[in-house]
Amino acid sequence: MVSDEQFFAWLDGELEPAEAARVAAEVGANAELTLRAEQHRALQRQLKAPFDRLAQAAIPDRLREAVEADANVVEFPSPKTARTWLTLPQWGAMAATLAVGIVTGTMLSPRQTSPVIVAGGKMYAGAALGGALDTQLASAPGGDVRIGLTFRDPSHAICRTFTDATASGLACRQGKQWQLRGLFGAPEGQSGHYRMAAGMDPNLAALVGSTMTGEPLDAAQEKAARDSGWR
Amino acid sequence: MVSPDRFDGELLALLPRLRRFAHTLSRNPADADDLTQATIERALRSRTHWQVGTRLDSWTYRIMRNLWIDTARARTRREKVEAPEEEAELHAVRVDNGMDAAVDLSRMMAAMERLPDEQREVVALILIEGFGYREAAEMLGLPIGTVSSRLVRGRTALLDMVGA
Repeated sequence: MVSDEQFFAWLDGELEPAEAARVAAEVGANAELTLRAEQHRALQRQLKAPFDRLAQAAIPDRLREAVEADANVVEFPSPKTARTWLTLPQWGAMAATLAVGIVTGTMLSPRQTSPVIVAGGKMYAGAALGGALDTQLASAPGGDVRIGLTFRDPSHAICRTFTDATASGLACRQGKQWQLRGLFGAPEGQSGHYRMAAGMDPNLAALVGSTMTGEPLDAAQEKAARDSGWR
Repeated sequence: MVSPDRFDGELLALLPRLRRFAHTLSRNPADADDLTQATIERALRSRTHWQVGTRLDSWTYRIMRNLWIDTARARTRREKVEAPEEEAELHAVRVDNGMDAAVDLSRMMAAMERLPDEQREVVALILIEGFGYREAAEMLGLPIGTVSSRLVRGRTALLDMVGA
């Protein structure tokens, strides 16, 4: 016997596999339940579709402006590049795809080129950060970005930790880009330089721990990996 | 402290979903956008209460749901005094099998509107917004069994109304 609650929990994919299989068998053997399942699936489609279309429609200006009025501190290098550079709505996607800590405001400060670009819901290193990740060795710090560890993740992609004055993070090679896996800001009132002296941000350390396979590359391996294009 | 840039950006990215949720709760699109705007404003004011690492969507949905309950209660009181027939008229909106998206939407909003509030929010979160039972229960501060039984009643009533 299948209760209403069980029946719908099964329909909604909420049951454990064993119980789901039992309910599925009962529904399959019972024409009335089979019909009911089909009716409720159709109901959900019919109910959801118009709301989903609404979610794909343009957002009314007044709602967008309600948020943007608060966000007008952000500026981009120029209107021409702003389209391909980080635009605000895209930030949301990164929470779903990345382990992201705190990004400090100065990371997006108009003074400097954005360190981050977003494409297809994923966050990548911008030109300056990407350049540092491409070329710098841990043993030879240069510019604003300092490279920490270099290692491989379970998919064999090269990953590198980095620190600048405002944040530290982890980026892994994806194609010809560096995909950010995490970005962590300095606690308020604490500069990146202080943090570097104090060791790796604990959030970053945890992310490194869960990403790294094998040992970090040593200086010679790091240089060899760079010279072969981080493959 | 979360950077304003990031918080605002995530909130902007959530807007389509927030607006959808508002439409599932509200009786008409104008009320839904008012509810969305009120939610944005409250979320921006309360941003320091959001904890980094927790889901911004659940947090913001909760704000919207609480605002909706407040305004729905106030409205119910007002309408009982002033215009008891207004809701009946809205419910009586009958539309032919619409080809038009706006027609479909108003038909489904009218059907949702006829559900008791406690069933509507559960149906909205699970069947339309796609949250799991546990997530919905946590958002609503209810036992999962309560969510499950309200969902049964709500969707059964909807099936009778729209006859899928």
